[in-house]
Amino acid sequence: MIRFEQATKYARTKGIKKPIIEDASLTLNRGKSVGLLGRNGAGKSTLLRLIAGAIRLDKGRIVRRGKISWPLGFQGSFQTSLTGEQNVRFVARIYGVDTEELIAYVEDFAELGPFYKAPVGTYSSGMKARLAFGLSMGVNFDYYLVDEITAVGDANFKKKCQAVFETKLQDSDLIMVSHSTGTIRTYCDCGVVLEKGKLTYYDDVEDAIRAHDINMKEN
Amino acid sequence: MSYLSTHIRVVGALLVREMATRFGSKPGGYVWALLDPAAHILLMTMIFRAIARAPALGTSFALFFATGYIAFQFYQAMTSYLNSAVRANRALLSYPNVAPIDTVVARFVLQVGTTTLVAFIVLGTIVATMRVDTSLHWPTILEAVAMACLFGLGIAMINCVLFLKYPLYEQVFGIVNRPLFLISGVFFLPDSIPAPYHDLVLINPLVHIVMGFRKGFYPEYRAIGLDMNYLYGIAFLTLFAGMLVFTLSRKTLRNE
Repeated sequence: MIRFEQATKYARTKGIKKPIIEDASLTLNRGKSVGLLGRNGAGKSTLLRLIAGAIRLDKGRIVRRGKISWPLGFQGSFQTSLTGEQNVRFVARIYGVDTEELIAYVEDFAELGPFYKAPVGTYSSGMKARLAFGLSMGVNFDYYLVDEITAVGDANFKKKCQAVFETKLQDSDLIMVSHSTGTIRTYCDCGVVLEKGKLTYYDDVEDAIRAHDINMKEN
Repeated sequence: MSYLSTHIRVVGALLVREMATRFGSKPGGYVWALLDPAAHILLMTMIFRAIARAPALGTSFALFFATGYIAFQFYQAMTSYLNSAVRANRALLSYPNVAPIDTVVARFVLQVGTTTLVAFIVLGTIVATMRVDTSLHWPTILEAVAMACLFGLGIAMINCVLFLKYPLYEQVFGIVNRPLFLISGVFFLPDSIPAPYHDLVLINPLVHIVMGFRKGFYPEYRAIGLDMNYLYGIAFLTLFAGMLVFTLSRKTLRNE
């Protein structure tokens, strides 16, 4: 369960103060995957980072029950001078999961071959993305945060990602940001629309998409 | 409890990562973190032995210079490494598990360990090759080292925040920090400075650190003007200020 209690967060850049969420209260229950909808620049990604706990609220609080992932496929933490394996080992350590198990899982999943033991700096962008996706899938979370699923690898690899992802979703929930309503429809049961600092929850994802479309038309 | 264990786990992981990345690309790896400063100190010592006829204390110029330099390094190497602890690891803060303070703690532990090992290598070599027996007074030495580390940690925590907030301050700090080496009593004894300047020199807490450290190696050294209360006061005050600034600036550190 994730609960927002009078949560307020402003985005500040160069003296401009803009609310991302203002005094928002909302409860997301386990067992339902959530699609986050909102216009460009509304702050969906910031909201995701708030849920993850990577940044803090200005006011209010977020109560989290359950393990929440980092954004799926996050690559920013890869140290280019370290090998893929060393980077995986680091994440295993900070999340307190079995190091050898995770290393073996990612090695098998990411299909990097001998490059797994080469510095990440030598990887192609596709290889990096595969490593990042494998790493995300290798650690078990109750909630997976997804900021725009980006397709990774060739057709075969995509199929494999899809399959793993579906199995994960049997025990875990998604919180997903996407501009593609099709993707949201496929993965999510319910929806939250972020508009002008307000969070509105819709139990049916179709209602959320409809509300979002109306917002977009109003402009 | 799980809160604390997460921190410990993260610090451990960061320690390994820092050790691997700092010197990882060179053959020999972490050994260079020890050899580099050790070689530097030994070389400087030899040069000064050639220039100076007699040390201000004792008979070994090597010991005189190395004790001063290493005491100073406990502060200097600490701040120069820790100032960028958060900035260098900022990408990792996207993992909610990693807190800004973890990066500081990891670097602190690593740097204290490194300088300590360097001290053992350099001073051990010098003491072992000296003809005169040296009796060490460990409590005095450890006290000076502890104060140097805490003072350095405090300064670095303040800098972690201020460097991010005010890039100009980073320039100013660099300019002010550089000549510290010359005025902290590494080459000379503050005791020998004439009256009006003597008090000025003693304002610098590093002078007290160097004096205290040396006192542990030279039982006959009187260290006039050494004020441990002053040193404790400054060190803990700085550390407190550092913790305060660090805690109040979590947002800046997390980059929002």
